[in-house]
Amino acid sequence: MAHTPSNNPTSRSADSLTRRKLLKAGLAAGAMGACASAPFAWTSRANGLALPGKLKTKRVVLVLFAGGVRTRETLGMPDNVPVLSQMATEGVTYDRARTSNLGHFGAALSIFTGISEARGIRENARGPDPTLFEYLRKDLQLPASDVWISTSGGVQQTNYSHSMHRDYGADFGANVLDGDGIFNREFREILASYGKPKQWADEERKLLAKLRSDLAGAEENKERAKAVATVERYVMEELTRGTADLRGINSGDAKALRVARNLLSIFRPRLLSVVLQQADVAHGSFNSYVEVIRKNDAALGELMQVVRGDPELADSTSVIVLPEFGRDRDLNSRRGLDHGDGSDDLNFVSIVCWGPDFRSGQSVTDAVRTIDVCPTVCELLGSKAGMARGQRLPRLFS
Amino acid sequence: MMRGTLGTMLDEMILDDGFLRCMSLDFLGRPPLESERRRFVGKSIATFSAEVLGSRDFWSHWLDEQLYYFLLIDNFRPAGERIQAMPAELEAERLSVSQALRQILLSSSFELRNPGADTFVTVVIEQLLGINVQKNARELEIGKRAYDGHKGTFLGREASSQSDVIRNAVEDERFWPEFLEREFQRIVRRELPRRESQSWARRIRSGEWTYLQVLRDWVMGEAYAERLSQRSPISNRLFVRSVFVDLFDRLPERSEARRMRSALDGMGDSAPLRSVLVRLILDSDQVEFPLKSSLDRPRDWIRAQFLRFLGRPPEASELESFAETLRQPACRPATVVYALMTHHEYQLY
Repeated sequence: MAHTPSNNPTSRSADSLTRRKLLKAGLAAGAMGACASAPFAWTSRANGLALPGKLKTKRVVLVLFAGGVRTRETLGMPDNVPVLSQMATEGVTYDRARTSNLGHFGAALSIFTGISEARGIRENARGPDPTLFEYLRKDLQLPASDVWISTSGGVQQTNYSHSMHRDYGADFGANVLDGDGIFNREFREILASYGKPKQWADEERKLLAKLRSDLAGAEENKERAKAVATVERYVMEELTRGTADLRGINSGDAKALRVARNLLSIFRPRLLSVVLQQADVAHGSFNSYVEVIRKNDAALGELMQVVRGDPELADSTSVIVLPEFGRDRDLNSRRGLDHGDGSDDLNFVSIVCWGPDFRSGQSVTDAVRTIDVCPTVCELLGSKAGMARGQRLPRLFS
Repeated sequence: MMRGTLGTMLDEMILDDGFLRCMSLDFLGRPPLESERRRFVGKSIATFSAEVLGSRDFWSHWLDEQLYYFLLIDNFRPAGERIQAMPAELEAERLSVSQALRQILLSSSFELRNPGADTFVTVVIEQLLGINVQKNARELEIGKRAYDGHKGTFLGREASSQSDVIRNAVEDERFWPEFLEREFQRIVRRELPRRESQSWARRIRSGEWTYLQVLRDWVMGEAYAERLSQRSPISNRLFVRSVFVDLFDRLPERSEARRMRSALDGMGDSAPLRSVLVRLILDSDQVEFPLKSSLDRPRDWIRAQFLRFLGRPPEASELESFAETLRQPACRPATVVYALMTHHEYQLY
């Protein structure tokens, strides 16, 4: 097993094997193709599967009111969540949606894949099963600008964008933005310390484009370069909008909802998902948990104002809100709420569906599952979640 | 581990800029500094392995990787003296890898990151032992009771505290195979068969080998030679460190690196923000570029930039085109560097 190193390393000639030669020898061919492929490809909006003609829904906003939130503190106490309560009275509420205590990451991923995903709590990797983002982008041939996720949970949540499934994956992934990670004062200050980008003269920009196009492999990355430039422009604009100045106990979640609001206004994506997280402060403080719920409901209200205030969006947007799971029945020793007692408070949550095609003011008591959301959203937009184990939510449509 | 043709090839490999860049990123978490390029280019991989693996910089990067694995980052990064001293202690062999991991899990940051019995115990056994808690609910329940101070037999040993939960996990027979498989995946980019990880684990537990010796053997093995023949996407944290080393020949301040990395991590595809960062730094006048008029041999300068940023010399057509473009009055040396740093090859290593 032990290795004996070379005794005379300096005697190697310049003609010895170099990494360049090794790469050229073709050993890397397979890996190069896989690794260098674009994380997302911007395809034309060609007509794939036809959208359901009789439905008004053209876009969906899916809000994971997550971090572990019990129904008791939401629809059970309408004063905490006036916005959500109003949506419930105008839409369909599923009072008994079964979920699994798979950790925040796994439980949220399950909603996106329609399959209960047992993932480690701190696992920082993509799942094996396609997400609804991939189903939609592949089936409907949607460009990346049509599918977004706005998160507040940091690096782990960027894994929601796409799976490792061989038939789907990065080419069909969603754009993911973590509001708190990017739009924060510290990062803005770092950027400011380098000053503003200088305006390059037209001639220099043309020469830069020439240099780029003359580099090996430039041609196959042309589409990707275009996509990168579009998002780059959006990020630069968002950095100046004030999202970074949001403060308070729910600032991460508030930024995720603010980013979502702006994305909805600018890109009008077909699917926009928001993943909240900060209700998990409940482990240490019940009162803070309730405060986060209240503030997030208010921020949800800002998002809903954009939907309701725009006639086109109001007539064509469906909004679905649910947590990934609930919390324990009883307080812990710190007067907080963990999530691990197996109680109904933990395992059952509420789903609120609001939109132009849904029944109004209906409460469905049938047992459903949070993994039913994935196929429901796919069908709403004219796709099919082929590998999902959930089913379309029952008694939803008017 | 069996050594085949590639293993033989590895013995014959000298470190060119490409290999050196790749290995430095693998083991030091950054490209080589200028002084290291002068020291190692033209030397053997074994020389690099002997001098770098086990160094303070090596352990510092190793610690960063472990903290990232447990997502002890940003506000959750442990700041205590014991953690700060860890690279030096590991270098001096006053601390073993398993002791270091145990200290990380005993830090208050780990508890803050994983609040509550359920989360804490779940993360310990998932991350350290690869146990699926959904299939081992009983072990989880015992661990949770131990976390709360109640006596129980957790992972086959008595436990009645958080500390016991961690100790039992680190001393469990599944710890070393799991750790080695994780490290092999991180460094060699392929799975280590369980039979091999168990074999290595036995040698480490018996005191016959240390983790560092195992790593050195991996580096000279066939699998790592294959890894060197492939390029993988560079992570955001390595990207930030690369930008600073490539442009300033130094690492960024920790807080600066953290904020930049954290922002990049906030995007599923961070390429747009990477481009913004590079552009800002290049435009800031903080980077020293030679005056174009002072470039006596522009082709040599272009060649050096390809080696520095992409780890390879330019193709003949690239050299010709870059030289021609650089001759244009509107093209600055910074223009050339920006083109290279936003090229897809700069995102791979």
